[in-house]
Amino acid sequence: MRFVGGDLPLGPVLATLAILTCALVLGHVREVSQRRTAEEKALTLLKQWLSPAELAQYEKHSYFEVTGGDSGKRYRIRPSRQMNLDELDERGTRTAAWCFGPEGELPIGDVMLAQKIAVENNERGALALANRGSLLQSPPRLG
Amino acid sequence: MAQQIVMDVTGDTRHEFDPTDAAALAEARARFKQLTDAGFTAAVRKGSGISQLVRHFDLAADETVFFPRLRGG
Repeated sequence: MRFVGGDLPLGPVLATLAILTCALVLGHVREVSQRRTAEEKALTLLKQWLSPAELAQYEKHSYFEVTGGDSGKRYRIRPSRQMNLDELDERGTRTAAWCFGPEGELPIGDVMLAQKIAVENNERGALALANRGSLLQSPPRLG
Repeated sequence: MAQQIVMDVTGDTRHEFDPTDAAALAEARARFKQLTDAGFTAAVRKGSGISQLVRHFDLAADETVFFPRLRGG
């Protein structure tokens, strides 16, 4: 029988390490699976709350556009956690990027729905909280 | 059946209730107050793609969604 450090038997140490490794891997797999389920659930809810035109746009481009309830400006909501709200001019060109969302680690679909509801119903309040980003960085190409 | 949909890390948690059941209605009303007191925003679906923020429990709403307090990102 071999010993580690002169005291501990190697067999039980290796077995414990194997069990811990398995537990870590299984925990990670479970976490990824739960996260995926949450994202799917949130996307289902988002799609239920979109208009047919918004849904069609989302299915085609992975983003959708909404109208600000106070200004009448158009905004594009992209599936991202940061700077994903684009303010558009009348030609559809991005003129500003905004970043705000609900507290907590919500799935993307939930974040997008909360942003849609906020922009349509309380545009000024939402933008007062939001951070305005630089336009120097191009938005990711989608759809 | 009416539904209260609370956004969370699992996507959402749904609470269905019968608006004609007084006890269920009281529970839904209490849940509404508890969530909005905690900073959640409530919105009801008024039609296809149309929503409206509500500050008080809406008896007529079939579907109310709650999302956590907004903050700048």
